[in-house]
Amino acid sequence: MTELSKIAKKIRVQLIQMHYKANSGHISSGLSCVEILAYLHKEWLTPNDCFILSKGHGASALYATLWAIGVLTDKDLATYYQDGTLLSAHPAPLAFSAIPFATGSLGHGLPIATGIAYANQIFHENGNRTACLVSDGECNEGSTWEAALFAGHHKLENLTVIIDSNGLQGFGSTKDVLNTEPLVKKWEAFGFAVQELDGHDFSQLNSAFKSQIPGKPSCLIARTHKGKGVSFMQDQMSWHYLPLTKELYEKAMSELESQS
Amino acid sequence: MRIEFTQALHHILENDPRSVFISGDLGFKAFEKIQEAFGKRFLNAGVAEQNMVGLGAGFSYTGLRPWLYSIVPFITLRCLEQIRNDICLHNLPVHIVGNGGGYTYGIMGGTHHALEDLGILKGLPNMTLFFPCENNQVEAHVQNIQRTLSPTYLRLAISGFQSSMPVLEENPETLTRHYNRGSKITLIGMGHALQLLIPTLEILKSSGVNPDLFGISKFPFQLEKDLALTESVRKTGKVLVVEEHYKTGGMGESLQASLEMAVPFKILAPYYFRGQRYGSPRFHLGQCRMDPENIAMQILEFIKSENEASHHET
Repeated sequence: MTELSKIAKKIRVQLIQMHYKANSGHISSGLSCVEILAYLHKEWLTPNDCFILSKGHGASALYATLWAIGVLTDKDLATYYQDGTLLSAHPAPLAFSAIPFATGSLGHGLPIATGIAYANQIFHENGNRTACLVSDGECNEGSTWEAALFAGHHKLENLTVIIDSNGLQGFGSTKDVLNTEPLVKKWEAFGFAVQELDGHDFSQLNSAFKSQIPGKPSCLIARTHKGKGVSFMQDQMSWHYLPLTKELYEKAMSELESQS
Repeated sequence: MRIEFTQALHHILENDPRSVFISGDLGFKAFEKIQEAFGKRFLNAGVAEQNMVGLGAGFSYTGLRPWLYSIVPFITLRCLEQIRNDICLHNLPVHIVGNGGGYTYGIMGGTHHALEDLGILKGLPNMTLFFPCENNQVEAHVQNIQRTLSPTYLRLAISGFQSSMPVLEENPETLTRHYNRGSKITLIGMGHALQLLIPTLEILKSSGVNPDLFGISKFPFQLEKDLALTESVRKTGKVLVVEEHYKTGGMGESLQASLEMAVPFKILAPYYFRGQRYGSPRFHLGQCRMDPENIAMQILEFIKSENEASHHET
């Protein structure tokens, strides 16, 4: 088992524990982006780079990732979802430097990330990079495409957009609700260098993040599974919302612990 | 006010290398000189206001001071959630500038009118609103905004009744102006609606009424610093506010709630009605009984009815 796989497992276990203790939903939305977040925070981001979680409903996965790399403590995580916490269901403003913007309303993260990338590339000329994780449902939002148009037009090569393409959104499959496919062609048409990959495969993530093309913003279409790692949650829309019962918590933990 | 704003902005860009001007594809015969003089510090972000506000938040996060410009409804209502979430919740010094307050865009139609902007923005956390009374106040507003290290909104407008009169006194911090000393009533113009009160003042004087006249142009109010204004209210015991903004949610309501004294208080404001017609800013004001003659008449009626009421009480 590689180092990154061990971290991903640690994040998933922590995430399930957090949601169980908090009796909170959005579990499967977090599970779909664990490898992406682990790779970004462990391998890709430097202290000068910036990460924006545009899919704010994946916050618990981000909190667990920041915990796994030592940015958040056990004490911080113990407050998750509790009265008085800074770890709300969606990221709070001005709480932690590793989470620069409050998100949760979809379609906000990419314009902000694009602004940071433009400022760094055109004004500060500092080589700092920006990554933004967007959900596939979020590609319904017009503001996401406004930002894509701008980033492509200005050739923001310091911007990497990752689409957590798990195929499910709030009340149905993305295919049925408002089909955003073909995502590859769409992002290419907006001026991005696009790669399609298995968003749970670290070697593919590594290869995609390292083979970015100069002169263009990058878009990684990460094909993922909502609820990845917990069999009864995987690809089930209901787990966008449901909290865990004791029985299902134990089942989930047992499954995760047995995974190599 | 756009010319004065452009001049003031030019000055800001000259003196502060962090400042950047972002336009939502507007500026023909207005921003060419800025574009030429400041190169990449003038950015046309295209017709995409939601993205523009997000960009502003991102710029600000890296230490830049962005000024975002468009027509009022496009840069306020269209992207309201971006203003709240991306800018205000993070208390970022992003400076929104809307051109066309009130009925400025007159014949352009209802989509271009701005009669709700201040009401909608005033409740946002960390937001300060600036709405100059006259062209000659814009420079002071822009300088005041530059010193404000938090979100701001500047409302530029053209009055249907362009005129100006000497200012007796202006508070450099609150930007409240005192225009005329009088005794019968405290008359307040909110932002550029003040200009409408200048011809009104002449009508009132010829009717034997000399009001105390003020222009308010910044929110939140700091009435504890506007001593001439609060003293006037205490002295006259009557307040009448004129604003080019719907009454509901407007600055008049906020002022009434902010005054510590319970005094007779009247607000004259435009209103929407089915069947309204379109024309110049002056036409629109007249359609809502907001021409100087009608305003003067309503002021005189207000003074008379309040005097009668107080006479009955005694």
